[in-house]
Amino acid sequence: MTSQTITSTVENDRVLVLEREFNAPRELVFRMFKEADHLKHWWGPQGWEVPVCKVDFRPGGVWHYCMKCVDKNQGDFFGMESWGKGVYGEIIEPEKMVYTDYFSDAEGNVNEELPATEVTLLFVDLGGSRTKLINRAVYGSAESLQTVLDMGMLQGITETWERLNERLESLK
Amino acid sequence: MSGDYKGIDKGIDKGIDKGIDMTALSALAEPNRMQIVELLREGPLTVGEIADRLGLRQPQASKHLKVLSDSGVVEVTAEANRRIYKLRSESFLTFQSWVKSFRHVWEERFDNLDNYLRELQSKDNQ
Repeated sequence: MTSQTITSTVENDRVLVLEREFNAPRELVFRMFKEADHLKHWWGPQGWEVPVCKVDFRPGGVWHYCMKCVDKNQGDFFGMESWGKGVYGEIIEPEKMVYTDYFSDAEGNVNEELPATEVTLLFVDLGGSRTKLINRAVYGSAESLQTVLDMGMLQGITETWERLNERLESLK
Repeated sequence: MSGDYKGIDKGIDKGIDKGIDMTALSALAEPNRMQIVELLREGPLTVGEIADRLGLRQPQASKHLKVLSDSGVVEVTAEANRRIYKLRSESFLTFQSWVKSFRHVWEERFDNLDNYLRELQSKDNQ
């Protein structure tokens, strides 16, 4: 299995762009984001399942999901739930979808204190059943913008976070 | 799961009360402060010890420690006439969930998606 690489860049100090290619036709990749039954299979990070995933896939519709840590090796995270809420914006199937991503609770109340992110996903047909996925995340509030700005200006900060992350594992 | 955990939301709420989350990220986006955090991973230290180890002047170290303490990354306890600094583990939990929302979480997701797409397509071909 060849491991595909992800590329990330920061545009204008406030837009985080991630790109990755998949060996699958564009329509199929798009459906992975559109259908709850598919999302449940991959949306959670390593060791996190998606027990709740409700999708109302239309502009203005809400996507409400819960990620739960089921990995005992993740220490204090084990058993934790993290709720997220997306509100869909523009949808052009199968090329593009936009949603605003919020931290939320089980009732779907948005946590106003934590930064919302506007995410644009572009599905580029590369031919030969390959698709490039471009994820553009724009950080909205002044505070989150500042953070991304800090991160963008400090070279290598991403690696620092990753290193910090690894080290945090050992703190438990 | 027992009802002990209300989940990450709880951790995040706690974070807001103490002013961690965004401010902690900004606080750590400074190399000296990041080094202080790395140093404190080994155990609590006084301002003097931190200044010595990092080759900082004490007022400088104090200034950085104040930022870290205001943003909830470290906590300070007084022992006799010394002030001892240590990492607050709660802040890192909040923090990690925040950091996860960045690149890392997408890397993992894309890996999952990649595997899942393979699975789906191999089923279709059978």
